[in-house]
Amino acid sequence: MTPQELSVRTKQELKGEEQTRAGRTYVPDVDICETPNSLWLWADMPGVDEQSIQINLADGVLSIEGHVSLKDYENLAPVYTEYNIGNYARRFTLSSDIDAERIKARMTNGVLELELPKAERAKPRRIPISGS
Amino acid sequence: MALFRFSSPSDPVSGLLDLQRELDRFFQNPMGLDLGVSSRGVFPAVNIFSDKDGYIARLEVPGVSPEQINIESHGRTLTISGKREVVTPEGGSFHRRERESGAFSRSLQLPDDLDPGRAEASYKHGILTVRVPKKEDAKPRQITVKGA
Repeated sequence: MTPQELSVRTKQELKGEEQTRAGRTYVPDVDICETPNSLWLWADMPGVDEQSIQINLADGVLSIEGHVSLKDYENLAPVYTEYNIGNYARRFTLSSDIDAERIKARMTNGVLELELPKAERAKPRRIPISGS
Repeated sequence: MALFRFSSPSDPVSGLLDLQRELDRFFQNPMGLDLGVSSRGVFPAVNIFSDKDGYIARLEVPGVSPEQINIESHGRTLTISGKREVVTPEGGSFHRRERESGAFSRSLQLPDDLDPGRAEASYKHGILTVRVPKKEDAKPRQITVKGA
């Protein structure tokens, strides 16, 4: 039996927000996972150098942005294309309170990994029931 | 046939958009490069460029480390395969799952004047670049005219 092939969707352009710079910005695919202590996020941003990554958390909105470099395309002529190249950006409204000071970010193999630790008051708390 | 060659314009402002528009033109594949077995929409996405020395294939493989990538050449065909793994933290529940994980394999059937046996691959930031040079006898050769 043929195993299910992994698919790749056409990149979606970021709509609704004009960037001042020319050039299309795309929305990266993300996985978001919640554990008792943190919110985890992985965003596929191939071609992005970690130096260009910007992460912002303000008023409960997390925004991530990464830029690609054109240097790798110098003197190349396209012959066949399936994907377009561009910068990435995406925003999320967070439902949990996040401790912004302790956010950890890591870029590996074109994937941005964010650990967003929940603020103490947002963690689930067991409420003890005292016997009568 | 004049091929567009990308070069950073002196005005860096329009550079990215120019490149994007040029890549758009090739989505419909007007130049007729037939990759053979491969099909669009299958991971990983492939872009193919040419320069004076041969072809350069770029594949977006975020989340795949170079050790997990296997590249094989067989005649005119280049096959790139591997595995993409997605991390799942202990005791977590997913709110969103947009990234797929699993094994992948794509075969690219390249034009006759290339030499896939001498291909070289490099990896950076989640993008695999495979350079396939032209066969020696396919390169333009100067032929001198001997005097009488």
